[in-house]
Amino acid sequence: MLDIAFVKPVLPRHGALVLPLVEGSGPEGMNELAGLAQAVDAASGGAVARALAAASFKGRKGQSCTIWAPALEGGASGPSRIVAIGLGKAAELTPEGLEAAGAAALPLVNGEREAVIAAETLAAPQAAAFALGLLLKSYRFDRYRTTEKEEDKPKLERVEVATDATTAAKTAWAPMRAVAEGVFLSRDLVSEPPNILHPEEMAERCQELEKLGLTVEVLGPKEMKKLGMGALLGVAQGSAREPRIVVMQWLGATGNGGKGKKAATKPLAFIGKGVTFDTGGISIKPAAGMEDMKWDMAGAGAVIGLMAALAGRRARVDAVGLVGLVENMPSGDAQRPGDVVKTASGQTVEVINTDAEGRLVLADVIHYCQQRFEPRFMIDLATLTGAIIISLGHEHAGLFSNDDALAQQITAAGKAVGEACWRMPLGEAYDKQLKSDIADMKNVGGRPGGSITAAQFIQRFVNTKNGPMQAPTPWAHLDIAGVAWSSKDLPTVPKGATAFGVRLLDRLVADHYEG
Amino acid sequence: MLRVKLRPSARDHGGPRAIPVAEGAAPPQAFRAAAEAARFTGAAGQVLDLPTPGGRVLLVGAGRPRRMLNWEMAGGTAAAGAGRVKRLTIDAGGLAPEAAAALAAGACLRAWRFDACRRREEPAPEALDLVVDSPAAVAPCWERAAAAVRGCLFARDLTAEPGNRLTTRDFAARLEALAEHGIAVDVLGRKRLARAGLGALLAVGGGSANPPRLAVLRWRGSHAAPPIAFIGKGICFDTGGISIKPAQGMEAMRADMAGAAACAGAMLALALRHSPAPAVAVLALAENAIGAAAYRPGDVLRTGAGRTVEVVDTDAEGRLVLADALHYAQRFRPAAMLDLATLTGAIVTALGTHRAGLFGTDAALLAQVAAAGEAVGEQLWPMPIGERHRAELKSDIADLKQCVPTGGEGGRFLPDACHAAAFLREFVGATPWVHLDIAGLGTRAAPWALGPKGPSGFGARLLDALVAQSFEDPDRH
Repeated sequence: MLDIAFVKPVLPRHGALVLPLVEGSGPEGMNELAGLAQAVDAASGGAVARALAAASFKGRKGQSCTIWAPALEGGASGPSRIVAIGLGKAAELTPEGLEAAGAAALPLVNGEREAVIAAETLAAPQAAAFALGLLLKSYRFDRYRTTEKEEDKPKLERVEVATDATTAAKTAWAPMRAVAEGVFLSRDLVSEPPNILHPEEMAERCQELEKLGLTVEVLGPKEMKKLGMGALLGVAQGSAREPRIVVMQWLGATGNGGKGKKAATKPLAFIGKGVTFDTGGISIKPAAGMEDMKWDMAGAGAVIGLMAALAGRRARVDAVGLVGLVENMPSGDAQRPGDVVKTASGQTVEVINTDAEGRLVLADVIHYCQQRFEPRFMIDLATLTGAIIISLGHEHAGLFSNDDALAQQITAAGKAVGEACWRMPLGEAYDKQLKSDIADMKNVGGRPGGSITAAQFIQRFVNTKNGPMQAPTPWAHLDIAGVAWSSKDLPTVPKGATAFGVRLLDRLVADHYEG
Repeated sequence: MLRVKLRPSARDHGGPRAIPVAEGAAPPQAFRAAAEAARFTGAAGQVLDLPTPGGRVLLVGAGRPRRMLNWEMAGGTAAAGAGRVKRLTIDAGGLAPEAAAALAAGACLRAWRFDACRRREEPAPEALDLVVDSPAAVAPCWERAAAAVRGCLFARDLTAEPGNRLTTRDFAARLEALAEHGIAVDVLGRKRLARAGLGALLAVGGGSANPPRLAVLRWRGSHAAPPIAFIGKGICFDTGGISIKPAQGMEAMRADMAGAAACAGAMLALALRHSPAPAVAVLALAENAIGAAAYRPGDVLRTGAGRTVEVVDTDAEGRLVLADALHYAQRFRPAAMLDLATLTGAIVTALGTHRAGLFGTDAALLAQVAAAGEAVGEQLWPMPIGERHRAELKSDIADLKQCVPTGGEGGRFLPDACHAAAFLREFVGATPWVHLDIAGLGTRAAPWALGPKGPSGFGARLLDALVAQSFEDPDRH
């Protein structure tokens, strides 16, 4: 991960100098240069301003301009490149826009070991947002590249953000860095190939998070059998790899990282689908594109990243993260279409399609989570259905919820961090599509409304009557099949694993559930 | 449609008498013991068929009626419970006039049959006696309700017709007959379509022996206001064209004109109840056939709006004809445009067969349309048009692509309903616009409270309710 520091402005003698510039009313449609920008322009005898004018750079959103090693007066050594990045109009600056601008700077400075961002004209949180965008964009998963040439690799190691308000900027930055670490962890997990990252390995990586102050427990098949988790075990039974459930607890509500506390009280609960590889099982998938099914654990990946983020920034909240980890394989032992399995809740399921396995896993984990923690709310994340991609495409995750207030909070948090959700309907008419002739329900409801019937299935495992008010547990389900992986670069997300959900849920917690 | 008579008391005509009972309310004294024995509680959808010396009596569960829709459903349940009888009485004594009218409306909707193509072997329901406290008080309510019912049933009649009986010409002729209700009908043939430059509609209709038509229906109303415009997809039969559909299930494609039928039905409803709101319907009628003159994947079409479109899949023809119809509708300077179309399979994958997809550009209009749908039991769900949906329609050769090819960069799963809406949005200009993708709702796979299996007429009552709720205020601007 890039080393990012906040320092007082000093003109760099080498490396890159990044100038985030707003569109303005000055000459050539740009604001007057200030701070380090003004300093380097003066030192170059006005060459920087002239170069920007020649390139018609006006500070518009999306504009950028690179000036190579301008000669400084007196032959002084200076930056070997200056990269101007347009921020758009000062009055229209948003965190998302600043992140995108920071991210846009990354490829332009990646050839230098060090870069200085001249952020004196930005407020401290704005400077931090710019740095966050740059950091998020710098993610690479190159663990398995052995022959890449040295000159093809990105060189950037250290970024200094030059600001007069270093203390304020550092304060704004600390939680952002923790969230970015959660995002990177999530992207790592999702990017890992399925022969490396199987359920046992994924559980072990969760255990490493204890160093952040999380309590981590791992359940194996024996415990699951005792708990009656026939649905999850049914999915797992075809694989040579044992299933795991990982329970991660962050007890931050007291503000001391849970010292002396044994269990979470009314925690927020996050549940992730972690199918480390999904062949479809006996209802096997077509070969084309099956390699994508390594990221069928992205829901779990997001939950793990989120828990790391919450712990990393010492969030003042009690939260639990549960992930159901299995591999869905065809084999002589595999579950068959037609099998009837008994879930931990006691409800029975007729398995019509072994490729609708995610909901079976979630059913048991959600039930367990409720029984054990009586959570304040439950949010599950899952790359659940192809139908949600046909419904919404790749710009929105599908959001299903039994609670309008929670749904609105999630939508707003997603909007704020650029992880958009779109509410989808639930209803009795859809639920009826799950009717089975032999069991309490089928695991699929047919093509029409395929994502909705999947959500209805999960909802059948959400407690409907809790406490004296007899209210259902507030629950939301995010179908992230269309957004967990990106086939092209997005503003702050390089092509590949997006870690969708980490920033969204961190923001949800920060905005509504801390303190 | 059933002949409905409002009567102050029941007459014995040999048919059954239905008595709606709200949940928890006591049935009439004479039937209480029977109701209890049969566990009849008045729950919505329940029917208790009781032979009595005075004839058959049906206790009909009305549930807990909170809205007129619940009474309509009770009326529908009564009609379904009565079965194949010529005459039916519904006892609406003690009910508000609107509720009584709603019972009749529901019965008429549920009793609809399409018998034009077969010899009648069994008696079909013909008449309904509605027993009410005051026929004079109920009459105006019924007149309003009946207009919407007739509009809906007109749409169903059109949708049920097979492709050989309802060609584009036949469809146009059926629309021209609406003139008797005061609707001005103008049908544009090939020449005028060419003059108007509607190249997309001409191309889609080009492969068929039945020529494309653009039917324009106008209802003047009495307000001097800009009209509301309904735009309908009227593909009389959709083979898919050169991108031909699989044989299995293709017969259902006779109903690919359900959007246009619903718009026509709504116009009829407005005319029958003399709505003060001016309205115009622009219906694009074509048969998407395979022929020597059929359009091809790869063709570039020039639409009426002047925009060029690269054809990717000739089976995505609906958005092409709608593009031209939406463009044409703007010459009436409408206050709002609503298009209805059985447009995409993707919307069925997304929302199933219980809700239609609701897309649009105007938040206020979207809310009004959703509310109208709730009121008449034609439910919608808002769907997005994202930046990326539009971006993916970029073409290498024309102003835009008609749809995104499967398996390419877009992947295996394509949000085609969103793509289609993004495509249509390019043709609506600045007019507030809403698009209803009714592919999952135009035809019902099973009988339901307000109709038999088959065409539903989805949209006709919704549009009528929308006009009544949001477009009849004379001070509206």
